[in-house]
Amino acid sequence: MGLFAPPTGIARADHDMATMSETHHGDASEVSVGLSAEAADFNTAFYVGSYQGITPSLEWMRGRFGATAMIGLYHITENGLSTYGAGDAMLGGMATLVDREDVHAGVALHVMLPTGSELDTFGMGHMMAMPALWASWRSAPLTLSASAGYSRALAELGGLNHGLMPLVDPMNMQELTWSAAANLDLGHGLQLGGKTSGGAPIGTGQTHMLGGGRVAWGTPRVTTGLEVQVGLAGDPFTVRGVLDTALRF
Amino acid sequence: MRLVLFSLLIAGCTTVATPKPTDAVCPTPDPMTLTWDSFGQAFMTEFCNDCHSASLPHSERNGAPLYHDYDSLMGVLNTADHVDQFTGSGPAATNTIMPPPRCPSMAGGPLDRDCPQPTDQQRKDLSVWLACEKLRPHM
Repeated sequence: MGLFAPPTGIARADHDMATMSETHHGDASEVSVGLSAEAADFNTAFYVGSYQGITPSLEWMRGRFGATAMIGLYHITENGLSTYGAGDAMLGGMATLVDREDVHAGVALHVMLPTGSELDTFGMGHMMAMPALWASWRSAPLTLSASAGYSRALAELGGLNHGLMPLVDPMNMQELTWSAAANLDLGHGLQLGGKTSGGAPIGTGQTHMLGGGRVAWGTPRVTTGLEVQVGLAGDPFTVRGVLDTALRF
Repeated sequence: MRLVLFSLLIAGCTTVATPKPTDAVCPTPDPMTLTWDSFGQAFMTEFCNDCHSASLPHSERNGAPLYHDYDSLMGVLNTADHVDQFTGSGPAATNTIMPPPRCPSMAGGPLDRDCPQPTDQQRKDLSVWLACEKLRPHM
C-alpha cells in the first residue's frame, strides 16, 4: 500500500496515518509527495452534476511522528453551472502509540482550513477539527486497517446548519467518522484492496458512506493506485474514480 | 509550525460573505402592504426566476439548487429562510450573496449579463414580507 490513499476526506486522512506507519521504518526522516486525480458524478437532493479534481499532497514522517498537508483543486458542474476553485486545505499530525511488527496504532489530529468557497460548494465555510484513532494489522499478504474519529466544525453549531457539505467531499457539522480497509499483496509490487468509509451525524445531518475497490502497483519508492468508489449512503457521489501516485524520499 | 500558523492566519483573515438571518419581523398587526401580489411575485420575477424556476431542468438552472423555485408563493415559502439569509436585509444582517454577479438574459441561458441588484429598500422589504408571509395562513 502506498503512502497516499485517494482523497476521501477525513477517513482518507486517518487511513493515511495507518499506511504511513505501516510503511515507515526506523527513525530517519521520510518525505513523500503525491498527486491524485479524481472524477465523479453526483446526484444529490439539490444538485446534479460532476466534478474533476487534482490533489497535491505532502507528507513527512520521523520515528513515531508524522505530518501531512493537502489541498484539492476542482472543476465542478452543478445544475448546469461550471466553476473552478480550491477545496478546503487539510493539515494533519499523527503519533504512533503501538509500533509492533504486525500491529500499528496511534492517534491523529487533522484540521481543515476553509480555503474552499462554501457558496460554490467547494468548502465547508469554517474550520473543522478531526481527532481520530487508527490501527493496522498485517499478516502477510493481508493488511487490515481501520480508523474511528470525531469531526466538529469550529463554528457556532446552533447557527445555520448547512447539512452535508461540500459537494466535493461532504461531511456534517459534527459527526463520528470511520474507515476500514483490506489490502492483499499479490506479489511483484501489485496489491488489491477494498475499503469503506463514512460518517454519522451527531445531531442534525445525514449519514454518508462510500465503498471502493483499489488496485495499486509500484515499488517502495513510487506507488500508483487506481480506485473506483461508489456512494452507498448520503449521496456523496454516484461513482468516483481516483488515480493517485506517490513518490517517497 | 510556521506553516501551520501561516495557514491559520490566512484562514482567519479570509472574509467571505456568509448567509445570516436578518431577524426581520412583521409589524403587528400585519399591515398587508407587502404581499405576493403586491411585492413578492414581481421581486422574484425580476431578480430570481431566470434560475430559480420549477420549469427549468437541472442543466439549465445555472447552479440554482433543485427545489429552490421561486415562481410560486409556496415555492418561496418552502425555503423562505434561505431567501432571507442570501438576499434579505434586516436588523441583524444585510445579505447580498444573491443575486450573483452574472445572470442569463433568458431563463436557462448562458450567464451573459450583469445581474440586476435589488435596492437596499427592496432587500429590507423582502425580509419583512417573508416574515409576514410565514405568519399568514396558506392552503
